[in-house]
Amino acid sequence: MDQENTNLFEFAEFDELESEHIAAPRYSYWKSVWRTFFKNKFTVAVAIFLLFIIAFALIQPMLSGYSPIITPNINDASLKFVKPCAGHIFGTDHVGNEVFDAVWAGARNSIIISFVCTGIIMLIGIPVGALWGFSKSMDRWMIEVYNVISNVPFLLLAMILSYVLGAGMRSLIITMTCTEWIFVAYFIRTQVMIIRDREYNMASKCLGTSTWTMIVKNILPYLISVIMTYISREIPSLISYEVFLSYMGLGLGTTNASLGQSIAMYTSYMNGYPHLFWIPVSVLAIISISLYIVGQKLADAADPRTHM
Amino acid sequence: MSKGYIWKRLLRSLLSVMIIMLIVFTMIFTLVPRENIFFEDSTYRKLASKSDDKTEYVYSTWEKLGYLDYVRINDYCQDIYGAGSSEMAAAVEPDSKDSQDFVDLYTSKGYTVEKYLGSGRYYAYKDIPVIKRMGSWLANLIVIDTPMSVKDEANPDLPRYVKIGRTPTGGLAVIGSGTTYKYLFYTDTHFPFIHQNFLRLNFGTSYPTYQGLDVMRVLFQSQGSEVKRHVTYETGQEGESGINFGTLSYKPVLDRMDSRKFVDNYASYEVFRSQPSMIGTSFRMGIIAMILAYFLGLPFGLLMARHKDRLADKLGMVYIIFIIAVPSLAYIYLFRYFGTRLFGLPSVFTTYGPEDWRSWVLPVISLALPSIASLMLWTRRYVVDQMSADYVKFAKAKGLSQGEIFRGHIFKNAIIPIAQGIPASLAGCITGAIITEAIYSVGGMGKMLPNAIKQYNNVMIVALAFMFSTVSVLSVLAGDIVLTKVDPRISLSEKAGRS
Repeated sequence: MDQENTNLFEFAEFDELESEHIAAPRYSYWKSVWRTFFKNKFTVAVAIFLLFIIAFALIQPMLSGYSPIITPNINDASLKFVKPCAGHIFGTDHVGNEVFDAVWAGARNSIIISFVCTGIIMLIGIPVGALWGFSKSMDRWMIEVYNVISNVPFLLLAMILSYVLGAGMRSLIITMTCTEWIFVAYFIRTQVMIIRDREYNMASKCLGTSTWTMIVKNILPYLISVIMTYISREIPSLISYEVFLSYMGLGLGTTNASLGQSIAMYTSYMNGYPHLFWIPVSVLAIISISLYIVGQKLADAADPRTHM
Repeated sequence: MSKGYIWKRLLRSLLSVMIIMLIVFTMIFTLVPRENIFFEDSTYRKLASKSDDKTEYVYSTWEKLGYLDYVRINDYCQDIYGAGSSEMAAAVEPDSKDSQDFVDLYTSKGYTVEKYLGSGRYYAYKDIPVIKRMGSWLANLIVIDTPMSVKDEANPDLPRYVKIGRTPTGGLAVIGSGTTYKYLFYTDTHFPFIHQNFLRLNFGTSYPTYQGLDVMRVLFQSQGSEVKRHVTYETGQEGESGINFGTLSYKPVLDRMDSRKFVDNYASYEVFRSQPSMIGTSFRMGIIAMILAYFLGLPFGLLMARHKDRLADKLGMVYIIFIIAVPSLAYIYLFRYFGTRLFGLPSVFTTYGPEDWRSWVLPVISLALPSIASLMLWTRRYVVDQMSADYVKFAKAKGLSQGEIFRGHIFKNAIIPIAQGIPASLAGCITGAIITEAIYSVGGMGKMLPNAIKQYNNVMIVALAFMFSTVSVLSVLAGDIVLTKVDPRISLSEKAGRS
């Protein structure tokens, strides 16, 4: 009987290559990020909602063709200040335009501005901040550069830039990015300083790794979650910044719609026609809050410590 | 911490402020079109039809504001022939020999020579470089009052001395004569009780808004109506007035009323007014809001950290997200709406004025809302980071209670980065809050910079930029010093062998 059973088996060859293999689970960073992110049903719902809103804000203005200077109903008193109803979902404003169209045209520009600005700020701020935090000799004079740039009155700068470049999307983006990057750089500098002298970096330095490789391979991956947190706060704060600039009369100019322009423009009707003010503010708040939540959850998911 | 380090830092901070000022000067004097300063000027608009007067007004204003050096043919000829002579009347005409000399002289000096449109006479102007402009601003910035300050040819017998005496209200004073101000140092019953006129900052005269007023006076003088009281003047005469004796300064020409009240030429004065100055209003509001923010933000942040991922934490998070995501313009309006509807508080500051506490409630709380949110966020972050530290586990193993660990260990460590920010938020109080003050119509500093920029008040922009940047740069340094005080392990200067 033993004989029969042993016949069912074959002797395996000794495989030297296979014996060297470490049986660790497969780990892919980005796959883990997405898996962690999609695990939470609430987050996924907010993300889908956000994508829908962004898509709607990008497409709706193309269909409505809204522009603040086109006012076909300006002479029709019955179409002004209509409260929200079935025919006019968000009501109409002081020149008889649909608030619904104005809000979505504004949302489109505000979203584009905040995304582009965040992109530019991060692209400049992160490398500068990483180098700044890494080099002590650079820190001495960069701190004074920071003192100078962060203290030049930004309203004055915004005003001068609007003279030199004229009002519009391009000049607004330049205005909003030309000093903001230094704050990102300063933030990253502090974060880099905290981890630059850790043992693994010291070891890396002893082995002759170049500064740039150390920043890109050793330090920045560690900072991904911090940077994501920063971005998720930066996008809503840039939308607020745009509102502020429009309120000060330094925004996109009268020919372009933006949520900041709408809010600044409708503020004066706050008491008589509160819907004119609260509808753009609510849309803005909904966009900002969902962007913030998705950003925070992405930041959590981007932190490798949450992957296990 | 070493004294040497602080001195070096101070010097570098000063350098930073100078660079900031150079940038500001360059921006407003070379990038803003200089015609714009007349937008808000009513005199200019009245002159629009008469072209020579307009040219004269435009160029003399630019000269006054330091844009350029302006020379008229009249000035040139007056120096040669004396005012009102018949030779001068002939020489100023465009075809005279002197006019030709004028053109040659100033062209060779690099001036641009042009003719008035109406009379055809010559004038010359030359731009002053930014560096020179800033240099003269700096040279005049600090004014020290000495007995030689007043230079009045009409009054050669003015005594010149400094002595110790008393003010008419009985306060101790250092009295000067020949000085711009009579009382160089004096004490009285008004905050801050000891005052001085010895060292003053001279930012120049405001133009075109607050025209003719000294910038420091615009910002620091009390506002509102005059508070009259019964006073006895120096001559013994009595009357009802709001006079502040401490501010008596030299007045070259006295009228009858002045000589009845005062014994000498020190007869121009400021009066006590019912409302605090612009800077005082903003500072009071900012300080109260800041105290409120620290008193609420720190405990709430601590509470959130202690109940991490439970109800208190989640509620706090909702509040923080709300403040971050909703623009301040919107939540201040929302808050004002509730405040006025539910509690009957005034919707604008001016309804009851600064004397009534109810005016302050809504603006102060509106100002505190975002600071509370950010303090909560960072306190929570730092405390949560500390909670997993080894020393906490050790303290727990020793048998300390949760409360003891939080108070005695975690809080002390978590507070370090927060303490560093205190000087900066203190400094932020003087700049005022642009949106909050605009919504509640508070007469504070917040509107000054935006308005000055909109109305091309270059003198004011320079003054504000200097004040704000100096305070802010110094507060960064003060923050670092606070950091080393709360955590003695931190050293700011690089020591040998530890770099």
